[in-house]
Amino acid sequence: MCGIGGIVRTDAAAAVGEAPLRRMAAALGHRGPDGFGLATGLGAGFASTRLAIFDIPGGWQPICTERGALLVYNGEVYNHPELRAELARAGITTRSSTDTEVVLRLLERDGLRALDRLNGQFAFAWWEPRERRLTLVRDRFGVRPLYYAFTPDGSLVFASEAKGLFASGEIAPEPDLVGIDDVFTLWGARAPRSPFRDVHRLGPGSVLVWERGRVVAERTWWSPEYAPAHADEPGQDELEELIRDSVRLRLRADVPVGTYLSGGLDSSLITALARDAAERELHTFSVAFRDARFDERVHQEQVARALGTRHHVLDIAAADIADAFRDVVHHAETPLVRTAPVPLYLLARATRERGITVVATGEGADELFWGYDLFKELALRRQAEFDESALERLDGLYAYLGGSGARRGPGWRRFFAEAGAADDPLVSHQTRAAATSAVKAFYREEVAMELLADDSMERLRAELPTGLERWSELERAAYVELRTLLEPNLLAAQGDRVAMAHGVEGRYPFLDHRVFELSVRLPDHRKLDAELNDKVALREMAANVLPPGIAGRPKQPYRAPEVTPFLGGEATPEWVEEALSPHALRAAGVFDERRVAGLLRRCRSGRATGPREGMALVGILSTQVWHERFFGSAGTGHPEETGTPKVCIDMNVSPEMEVVA
Amino acid sequence: MNRNDTMTRGAQTDQLRDEISLFITENFLYMRPDHVLRPDDDLLRLALFDSLGFIELIEEIQDRYGIEVRDIEINEENFGSVNAIVSFVAARRPT
Repeated sequence: MCGIGGIVRTDAAAAVGEAPLRRMAAALGHRGPDGFGLATGLGAGFASTRLAIFDIPGGWQPICTERGALLVYNGEVYNHPELRAELARAGITTRSSTDTEVVLRLLERDGLRALDRLNGQFAFAWWEPRERRLTLVRDRFGVRPLYYAFTPDGSLVFASEAKGLFASGEIAPEPDLVGIDDVFTLWGARAPRSPFRDVHRLGPGSVLVWERGRVVAERTWWSPEYAPAHADEPGQDELEELIRDSVRLRLRADVPVGTYLSGGLDSSLITALARDAAERELHTFSVAFRDARFDERVHQEQVARALGTRHHVLDIAAADIADAFRDVVHHAETPLVRTAPVPLYLLARATRERGITVVATGEGADELFWGYDLFKELALRRQAEFDESALERLDGLYAYLGGSGARRGPGWRRFFAEAGAADDPLVSHQTRAAATSAVKAFYREEVAMELLADDSMERLRAELPTGLERWSELERAAYVELRTLLEPNLLAAQGDRVAMAHGVEGRYPFLDHRVFELSVRLPDHRKLDAELNDKVALREMAANVLPPGIAGRPKQPYRAPEVTPFLGGEATPEWVEEALSPHALRAAGVFDERRVAGLLRRCRSGRATGPREGMALVGILSTQVWHERFFGSAGTGHPEETGTPKVCIDMNVSPEMEVVA
Repeated sequence: MNRNDTMTRGAQTDQLRDEISLFITENFLYMRPDHVLRPDDDLLRLALFDSLGFIELIEEIQDRYGIEVRDIEINEENFGSVNAIVSFVAARRPT
C-alpha cells in the first residue's frame, strides 16, 4: 500500500525536478511511512511513498523495465504469485517478489487486457516514455483512490489524494459547489467529480489514457453486470468455497494481518474465516462507544471469545470524536454528513500502535447480498402494490433516522410513498437523498441560487449505464449503492482515508470480483427473501462458523454520536465555536450564519435530537473545517520530503532502475 | 351552545394555534430568521418542511394531542397552514 503521484508535461522538453515531487511525497507520507522514491526527467516525474507489505527489502518504487516503462502503484494484487508463475512459464522473469513488478510485466506484455487478470485493489500510473503515454487505472470497486487534474497547457498531474495535487504546486484548491451538493445528497461526490473544482477522481473500474498533452481514452474496464450471459445458479458450497478463498488470498502479506470486528454478521464471518486460514494468532480490533446507543461491545466480545482471537477494544467517548474530527476531515478531503469515520480513524491508529498494518473487514456484504434497509424498502413498496398492509412494515426500517417504530405511522409511510415514482431507476435512493438534503436548508441564499440549475439526482439519473433496464429493481438499487455510497463514502472517507492516515491497509474479501459475480448468479431469495430476511446465503454460511446469536442478528447500522461531541454535551471545544462563528461561516461562504445560529441554539440546548439536525451540524461543521484546512491559512505551505529516497531514477539517463538505498 | 362554551372553544383554539405556531417556529423557522409565521401562511409554499421534517410535524401532532392521523388525512387541506392544522386537530381531538 502506498501513495503515488506524478506530473506529465505537454512540453516534452520541460523538466520535472525533484522539488514538486518531494512536496507530493511529503503530502502523501502517511500513506507510505516506510520510505519514498522518485523518478525525474524531461517531460515527466513521479513519486511514491511506500507502506511495505510484500518483499519488504526489495519492493521500492517507482519501478521500471529494461524498455523504460515505469510504474507507480498503490494497492495489492492478491493473485500475484500465480501470475508471476505464469509469466515465468512464458519466459518472463521478475527481479523482485512484489505484485508491483508482476503488474508492470503483465502490462508490458498484454497491455490493458492484463487488467482482467488482476484480483485485488489498486490504483496506478503506467508511463510509456517512447509514446509519451500515461495510463491511470483504478480497481473495480474503487477501493484505492486516484485524483488527477490538468494544467492550462494540458499537462496532467495525478496523486492518490487531492492534497498531493495541491502540494505539486501545479494547481490550487478551489471549492466546487456542485461537488459539495453531491455530498449533501448522497453522502459523497460522485466520480469523476470531487468537492474541489477541476480536481477529478478516476472512477472505479476506470482507465484514463493521456498521450502527448491530451486525453486519448477514458473508459471503464470493468463495471458491475447484473445480467451476465451465463448465469447458472451457484450452490451454497460454491459460494462458501469462494468466500473462503477470497479471505485466504487477502491474508497474503509479509506482515501480520488482523480484522476489524464490529460484532455484526459480515465482519464476524470474515473474522471466523480469517481465523481458520491464518497461520498466526489473529488479532481483532473493535470500536466500542461509551454512549450505549451506539455500542456493540457485547457482541464483539462474544465473537472474539468464541473464535479465540486476540481482541483489542478501543473505547470511544464523545470528546474523542471532537478531538479527531478535524484531522479526519483533512484526510477525507470532503465535507461529511456523519461522524462515523472518526472512530475508524482512531481504530486505525490503535491498530498501527499494536504493530498490525493490514486488516480485513466486512465491507461489501450489504451491497452484494442486499443487507441494507433500502432493499427492504423497495421490496415492501412492491408488495404494497398488491397488499397495502405491507406499508406498515416500513415503520421498522431506518432506525437511524430516529423515532421509534411506534411513533412512526402514516407520515413516515407517506414519506416513502412520495419519495419517487415507481418507475424511477433511482426510487431506491430517494429516501436517503431526501433525508440528507436537510443540510441544504442552511445554504446561503447565493449558494442555493447558484445550485438552482443543478440537481445531483438528475445528473446521476442521466449518467446511469445503458442496459440498466435488463436488471431487476433490486439489482439497480445495488448498482446505485455501489457507485454512490460504497465508493465515495464507505471505501474512501470511512475506509481508505482514515486507515491510510495511519498507514493501515484495509482488505475486503466480499469485494473480490469473483464474489460479486457469484452473488449476481444467486437467486433473489438467497439474498433477500419474501420475509425480508437479508443476506440469507451469508447467514447460512455464518450459522456453521459463528455463535448462533450472531449469525441471525439483525443489522445494526454502524453509527457514532453526531451532536454531543460538539455542542450540548459535556464541553464545547473552542475550535468548534470558532469554526461555526458568523465570521468563519461568512468566510467559507457556503452556509448562512443566521440560519446556522438557530441550529446551534437547538444543539446547545439539547433539543436537536432528530436525524435532520445531526446531519446538518456534521455537514456544516465539516464543511467549515474542510474550508479552513484547504483554503484557509492551514492549507498553505507544502513542505518537501527531505529524506533520502530509497529509489531515485533519472529518466533522462537510463531506464534502468537505480537503487540508491 | 351558550356564550361561555363559545368563549372556551375560542380560548382553546387560540391556545392550540399558539402551541402549533410555537412548535413550527422553534423547530423549523429558525432556518428563516426573517420570517414571522402567520396562521394563514402557506406552509408548503414556504417550503419549511423537508420530508423528514414533515414526519416530525405529524408525529408531534399525534403525540401531543393524542390523535391518530390517517394516511388519507395528510393533505394540504389539513396541514397546509397553521390554521388548517388547528381546525384538523380541534375536530379530531378527544373532548
